[in-house]
Amino acid sequence: MQDDYTHVVLADDDEDDRLFFIEAFEELKMKTKVETYKDGVALMDALLQEDTPIPNILFLDLNMPKKSGLECLKEIKANAKFKDIAIAIYSTSASEEDIENTFVNGANVYIKKPNDFNNLKKVLSDVVTINWQYHTSGLNRDNFLLRL
Amino acid sequence: MVHKVKSLYNSERFLKIIFGASLFVVLCMGGLAYKYIKDLSESFTLVQHTYEVHIEIEELLSLLKDAESGKRGYIISKDSTFLAPLLTVRPEIDARLIRLKKLTKDNPKQLKNIGELEVKIEKSLNIFDKTLLLAETNHIDSPEFISSFKEGRRIMNSARFQVYEMIAHENELLSLRKEKSTESLSDAPLLVYYVLILSLALLLLTYAQISKNLKVLKVKNEQLETFKESSTQSEIVSKHGNWVWHIKDDTFEYSDNLYRLLGVAPQSFAPTLENFLSYVHPEDIDKLKEQVERMMNEEDLPFIYYRIIQKNGNVRHFKAYGKVLVDSEGDKRLLGTTADITDEIENYRLLEEQNLELERNNKELASFNYVASHDLQEPLRKIQTFLSRLEDKELASLSSNGKLYIERIKTSASRMRSLIDDLLQYSRSNKSDQVLEESDMNVLLETAKQDLAEIIQEKKAKISSEPIPVMQVIPFQIKQLFMNLISNSLKYSREDIRPLITITYKKSKANKIPKLKSSKYKYYHTITFEDNGIGFDQEYSEKIFVLFNRLHSKSEYSGTGIGLSICKKIVDNHNGYIIAEGNQDKGATFTVYLPFK
Repeated sequence: MQDDYTHVVLADDDEDDRLFFIEAFEELKMKTKVETYKDGVALMDALLQEDTPIPNILFLDLNMPKKSGLECLKEIKANAKFKDIAIAIYSTSASEEDIENTFVNGANVYIKKPNDFNNLKKVLSDVVTINWQYHTSGLNRDNFLLRL
Repeated sequence: MVHKVKSLYNSERFLKIIFGASLFVVLCMGGLAYKYIKDLSESFTLVQHTYEVHIEIEELLSLLKDAESGKRGYIISKDSTFLAPLLTVRPEIDARLIRLKKLTKDNPKQLKNIGELEVKIEKSLNIFDKTLLLAETNHIDSPEFISSFKEGRRIMNSARFQVYEMIAHENELLSLRKEKSTESLSDAPLLVYYVLILSLALLLLTYAQISKNLKVLKVKNEQLETFKESSTQSEIVSKHGNWVWHIKDDTFEYSDNLYRLLGVAPQSFAPTLENFLSYVHPEDIDKLKEQVERMMNEEDLPFIYYRIIQKNGNVRHFKAYGKVLVDSEGDKRLLGTTADITDEIENYRLLEEQNLELERNNKELASFNYVASHDLQEPLRKIQTFLSRLEDKELASLSSNGKLYIERIKTSASRMRSLIDDLLQYSRSNKSDQVLEESDMNVLLETAKQDLAEIIQEKKAKISSEPIPVMQVIPFQIKQLFMNLISNSLKYSREDIRPLITITYKKSKANKIPKLKSSKYKYYHTITFEDNGIGFDQEYSEKIFVLFNRLHSKSEYSGTGIGLSICKKIVDNHNGYIIAEGNQDKGATFTVYLPFK
């Protein structure tokens, strides 16, 4: 982390979820810079701009119109420019199929959206404070899904 | 069948041997008879020969006697008529002697006797002449005459003696020959008799064998007749026809029903390949011709499939198969069977269609279930999150009623959450595309307990279990099964008593358990979960596995009515059975039977 803050980006089509996300980081009072996009297309357009800074952690909702989270994941993993981004899947469901697919495609962690705001804060703070290098080297299917 | 055919074959060989033996015996008999007849005729010739010699000698002697008596008559009477025999005796004696010599030419002793006799006769005749001359000149009283006369008598006696000797010799020869021939001929009738008996015995044996074979053949024939009839019937019933390809002369034979399968009257066309091919569907003809060619080259026909078109335009699906049969003569035939499988194919198609539709329906249902529960989660999560925001930020400004309402909303929301979670779980307990894995059941039970650690601790429950062997299962489903059964026991525990769950394992024989009697597996793993909870009335033992079925009100116990349905579905997926036994206020027992694979 070259800057003194963590650059966090969320792509989610749900307005409420974007709101919870931003509020959670506000209350956490961590050194973070939060950006949100309303779908996969908007996210990819922004990321591919020359002057956009590359985020440290990217939260991807799976079920989005136009371009799904899985498609974004594949595109990002295929682009060497984004090799340092830690990718967290941020989804309502935790079906075996989704977990398997995103794991195979190189996501770093899978988060099931909590149904309690305090839990949400805890999860987000955990994800931001993870030592990504350490986490990624020991990553397997069992610890991929972040349990609360 | 094979055994009998073999015995027939053996008896055919047996018959051949007997026939050969009989032929040999008859030949022997012929040879023997020929030999005996020859011997007989030979000895007859010899006897005749002896008699001839006999007669000749006697004749010779009587001629001499005649001459002697003539001479004596003349000397006494002086009547010259007595001399008549004397005039003819000489040439006659000579002729007789020549004949005798001829007859006895192979007997040197007799020849010698004849020589001596000849000399004596000659002498005797000379003396005749001399005495006669003396008698004519009336010198009968002279001593010369008397000495000549005496001399004549002496020589005459000597000749007679010689003749007797010769006759005796000839008799001796005759009796010798007679003896010899009787000796050799006395065995003949007996031998012929024996041979006759032997050949009769052989004949009887042959007759017995032939009649036995005939009986067997008759039985075989009847069997064949029956078999033919039943095979004709089975051809009609099972819609197939038989055909034979005689490989050596490349001709075909078609059964009646093969014609019927083609939609024509039996034997209504010549059974040739060309005629048959004219019925074959144009799209299949090239392939079939190729297969027939291969059949002719390899003398074998694996299963082939083709279509034909009947005269009325119906398309039928055929299946054919053939195998070469080599008969005892070494002739090869290819026996083929052609079946009409149109109905099967149509049924199969129908089944396939229905299957596809079922599969589609099932998939639709599953995805509906999934989507419904998944999409329901989203708004619910929002409600819950907003509620937690409200509680955190605005609780202070709410009245006590408002706080109560918020509490109620929270309860409802979390109940809805468990319903949705369970439904999701239920929809995931589908069998399709789940693979059975060899799994350590003890590990699965342990993970289930770990997942429930919080509630186990809270209820201070004690769970004891026996070791369970490795089984072929879908691991995550079995873990779910264990979890649901344990949490069910914990949920319906009695308030005043510490929950106790005992898990036992044993191997059971299917026919010992009423519910498993008609099962296709012989042995079952039997895992029993016994608790000391509130139990239930036995009359609900089936009902509790039905989806959304609850025995208690929501306010009493927090169940969704899905947990045990999931258990049942999982056990069904493993071809097993789950049975519940309740004892009101005492406890419940759930028994899971999983088949040995």
